[in-house]
Amino acid sequence: MRELVLIQPGRVLVGPSERESESCRAHREFEERLAECGPLVFRVAYGVLRNAADAEDVAQEALLKAYRNFGRLREPARFRGWLVRIAFRMALDRWRSAKRREKREMQRDLPEQIAAGPTVEELAVSSEFQARLERAMEELPEKFRLVLLLAAIQGYTLEEVSGMLGIPMGTVKSRLFFARKQLAEKLR
Amino acid sequence: MSCKRYQDKLVDARAGGEGALVGELAAHLRACAECKEFYEAQLHLFGAIDLGVREMVNETVPASLLPGVRALVAEVVIPRRMWSFSWGFVSVAVAAALVISVGVLRWSPENTSKQRDRSPAVVQGVAGGTGVKPVPRQVITAAPKHRSTEARTEVVPRGVVKTPEVLVLAEERAAFARFVTDLPEERDVAVAFTRPATDATDEGVEIALLQIDELEVKPLESSNRE
Repeated sequence: MRELVLIQPGRVLVGPSERESESCRAHREFEERLAECGPLVFRVAYGVLRNAADAEDVAQEALLKAYRNFGRLREPARFRGWLVRIAFRMALDRWRSAKRREKREMQRDLPEQIAAGPTVEELAVSSEFQARLERAMEELPEKFRLVLLLAAIQGYTLEEVSGMLGIPMGTVKSRLFFARKQLAEKLR
Repeated sequence: MSCKRYQDKLVDARAGGEGALVGELAAHLRACAECKEFYEAQLHLFGAIDLGVREMVNETVPASLLPGVRALVAEVVIPRRMWSFSWGFVSVAVAAALVISVGVLRWSPENTSKQRDRSPAVVQGVAGGTGVKPVPRQVITAAPKHRSTEARTEVVPRGVVKTPEVLVLAEERAAFARFVTDLPEERDVAVAFTRPATDATDEGVEIALLQIDELEVKPLESSNRE
């Protein structure tokens, strides 16, 4: 007796074992990308959040999201670009919500803080320039900020940043130029 | 060109990450102490910015990052497999339940009796006989539904009655059964009944108009006598 199999037009007919091996292959591919992109994603998130625990959370969430969408992100360059953007956005969202929370708490605890005041040691330890730089970075347009962060990550050239984000090299250079110029204006 | 214009160009050169200055800019720096001082300040500023941004992003990656992602992925994969298994199981179970329920509904005694009530009964008699023959047995059964296509497509030639069938309404079925049982005694009726019907075409029937010659209307009589 012949077995008839109905398939949707345009779809490749795969049996259960083939489907299983396909998912194994996808899982293996993802594992390879994970080792390569995990640190990159963490660093992008850290560049925004400036907190290792939060950056780790964001990186894990972004990588999990990438796993869920891995079927349409097989191409390495596309995968990396997508992942970096998603991690950057997630980190920004988290940073914004943290800022809002911080603002609320500050307003609530304001009298106590004034009474306590920062200690001399605290003032000495805090790097004023770094704090100003962080504030200046926060004010940068997102597209400038992302290029600046990616270009600063060790081991990534401007060509790689261009490929990652899918934008021309000239655009990467111009964004970097404006980002640095704006930072300098704010910090001068 | 004024020093302000030169200073703008110097800032652009640093922001663009250009190397050593050349040409007109380099010549101006050699000649103008103020611009040279400004340029050195910009060199420090941009150096600090680059260093600060690099420090900002090149944090040591925690060792727990990748194992954490693998654990999250495993959490996603296992329920997905379970879902695919359970969906398969659920679909099979639903299909089985449907088949069983349809079967139960179809063959339940109530339904069968309803079906019998709804469909007219069939009395199978002796075919083609012209003489009086005792009917050996009378079977009153519910007409079965034709399920196979063969049964539906069977062509019976006009005029040839293989098995005479009589449609009987449900409420008349008992009386008809008695009638059929007594049929051999009613000779004339039995002959007519067991003979195949003639292949006569229906002719138009004319009904004469009703004529009433005289009409007398009487008052109704009361049945209750007081």
